[in-house]
Amino acid sequence: MDFIYSVISPGVLSQILVGLSRTVILFIVSSGLSLILGVLRIPNVAHGSLYMIGAYMAFSISHVFGGSDMGFWLALVGAPLGVALVSLIAERGLFQYLYEREHLMLLLLTFAVSLVFGDLVKIVWGAEYKSVPVPQVFQGFVLLFGNLPFPRYNTFLLVMGPLVAVALWLIVNKTKIGKISRAAAVDREMVDAVGINVSWVFGMVFVIGCLLAGLGGALVAPTVSVTLGMDHTLIIEAFLIVIMGGLGNIWGALLGALIFGLTQSLGILIWPQFGIIFPYTAVVVVLIFRPTGLLKSTW
Amino acid sequence: MKRVLLFSMCFICVLGLFLVSPTFGANTIKIGIVDTYTGPATTFTMDVLDGFKMAVEKINAKGGVLGKKIEYTTRDEKFKPDIGLAMAKELILKEKVDLLVGTINSATALAISDFIKKEKVPFFVTFSKSSKINMEKGHRYVFMMNEHTEMAGKAAALVLAKKPYVKYWIAGDDYEYGHAIADGVWNNLKKLKPQVQLLGQTWWKLGEADFTPYITQIVAAKPDFIIVATGGSGMVNFQKAAKATGLSQQIPFYQHTAIEFSTLAPQGLNAPEGVYGTANYLYYYPDTPANRAFVDEFRKKYNRYPRIGALYGYMTAQFIAEGFKKAGKVDREALIKAVEGMSLDSPVGKLEIRTCDHQLTLPMYFGLTKKVGGYNYLIATDITTIPAKDYLPTCEEVKKARK
Repeated sequence: MDFIYSVISPGVLSQILVGLSRTVILFIVSSGLSLILGVLRIPNVAHGSLYMIGAYMAFSISHVFGGSDMGFWLALVGAPLGVALVSLIAERGLFQYLYEREHLMLLLLTFAVSLVFGDLVKIVWGAEYKSVPVPQVFQGFVLLFGNLPFPRYNTFLLVMGPLVAVALWLIVNKTKIGKISRAAAVDREMVDAVGINVSWVFGMVFVIGCLLAGLGGALVAPTVSVTLGMDHTLIIEAFLIVIMGGLGNIWGALLGALIFGLTQSLGILIWPQFGIIFPYTAVVVVLIFRPTGLLKSTW
Repeated sequence: MKRVLLFSMCFICVLGLFLVSPTFGANTIKIGIVDTYTGPATTFTMDVLDGFKMAVEKINAKGGVLGKKIEYTTRDEKFKPDIGLAMAKELILKEKVDLLVGTINSATALAISDFIKKEKVPFFVTFSKSSKINMEKGHRYVFMMNEHTEMAGKAAALVLAKKPYVKYWIAGDDYEYGHAIADGVWNNLKKLKPQVQLLGQTWWKLGEADFTPYITQIVAAKPDFIIVATGGSGMVNFQKAAKATGLSQQIPFYQHTAIEFSTLAPQGLNAPEGVYGTANYLYYYPDTPANRAFVDEFRKKYNRYPRIGALYGYMTAQFIAEGFKKAGKVDREALIKAVEGMSLDSPVGKLEIRTCDHQLTLPMYFGLTKKVGGYNYLIATDITTIPAKDYLPTCEEVKKARK
């Protein structure tokens, strides 16, 4: 360990871990966004709202169980499923008729949907801040690298990140729907012609993407106050990550989230007053040298 | 089919016209409220409106003011100054309101204040925290019904100066309110206790969700005390992160409104103990008959506890009503004359609107968060009441600022 410390100081190591746990949330949400962008070509601005709804649903489920640990685990499963249901209704009722439209039109439409979702959340859950308690197992912190506190819950996030990434890889590469959706993304008419119901495949992909947003919301809920407006901050970051990584490329989203999360946490170390400018500078630098994003875009 | 659709669309539009034109009665006192009713700020603005409504309904039930009923209409400025200003103009020029009330957005309040100065329409500010509103940019027609950042800062500094902490760190939301609160505390603290040192500062973007990376940095610098200048949802976010990283057990910190119900209630018993905070209103303190009556009335009507906004709204309506009563006529200039120096009973004791700067003299409570039996969330304990005369800027200071 002493050898490692001589190369990287404990402060930097702990900051990297903190950055990585932030990356997990960013990755989960933006991979869903990227999936939808890649296959359906919808720049879904309402994705942030689904993340917010996921957090609110996690609150409700946890609240029903009196904030117990059981409530947390059920929320982790129930909230993404709830969001999936909401998105299924939105997709079947609205988006499926609009796949052929222009991107600008879709951008405006999804923006409108995000406003509607925002007001619906206010009607259903009210305007007060909500909070989901951290489950007993993950309360408090562990001391790492010579007495630097690291929240236990963040270690859980660090485990969840790779799990979601692997699951996503399996779905996209090993399942039938993953293969069809990849084919449909390239040539929709051809897939239609071989007798596959593309509309349903698109619907499923949309739901999976939104489920990821809901999962992100449920995972973030114990660390923040669940509040109106949490969608806006996140959707901007998610879009930047997706653009940085290459539109529609899930691994690009992972790379983008890593860059975003790490530049942020390490930036704070270098220049605390202006820590916020680092991730955005990274986006600018990436786009100057790789205007289409780091990895291959499906667009 | 198309024709039916077209017809129904027209029908809906016509219906809509009826809905959007609010009709004021002929012989009434008209009040226009411009405030944010969408997005995160609604956490606070709904209480202002509900408190206002409760007072108005009570006044009207007793026959109104000078034989007239008080009527009000609301406009949602969506937290955007340009929309807020347009709405203020519409209310004054088209709806011919007698006066304006609002808003939680300081930028909107300043824009409206500039406009109503020319129109000579009184404007009661109910949640904007910028001190510019009645300090630098203050004038005859603007009334401040809440504390502003300079006041909050001074109140906190008064108590902190008596504590043994020397090495300070400042951290906060990187927007005007955050900086104004931090400056308010720090500048006053330095005046009261010259030996304090500032080790460093951390500023994060507004709406930052995860404070952990910032906190590990602050802890490494080993300050004695942290002044945390967060607002809105940042209040809860920071407290959760402080609990998760163990910060709250290691280094004491202060947040304006940290002890308020809106910050502590959502966290239940998981909120960190030992956080210093200031607030203008706590429903459980002072435990006086007046406060209990107010809380009971509010709970009966809305089935929740009143928070600070409820007091702002409730008192604003009462000052307006009593002002017109004292003036004896519905006249804007007469109203201003009447409320200047007027003092009324409130849930937190007698409150006055100062003549020199139109500031409401609210007391400030400084306390420490703690778990107390019987409450299923943390409440403030060890409460120090700072009377208005101690922490309000003096009339001379206001005069100097307005030059």
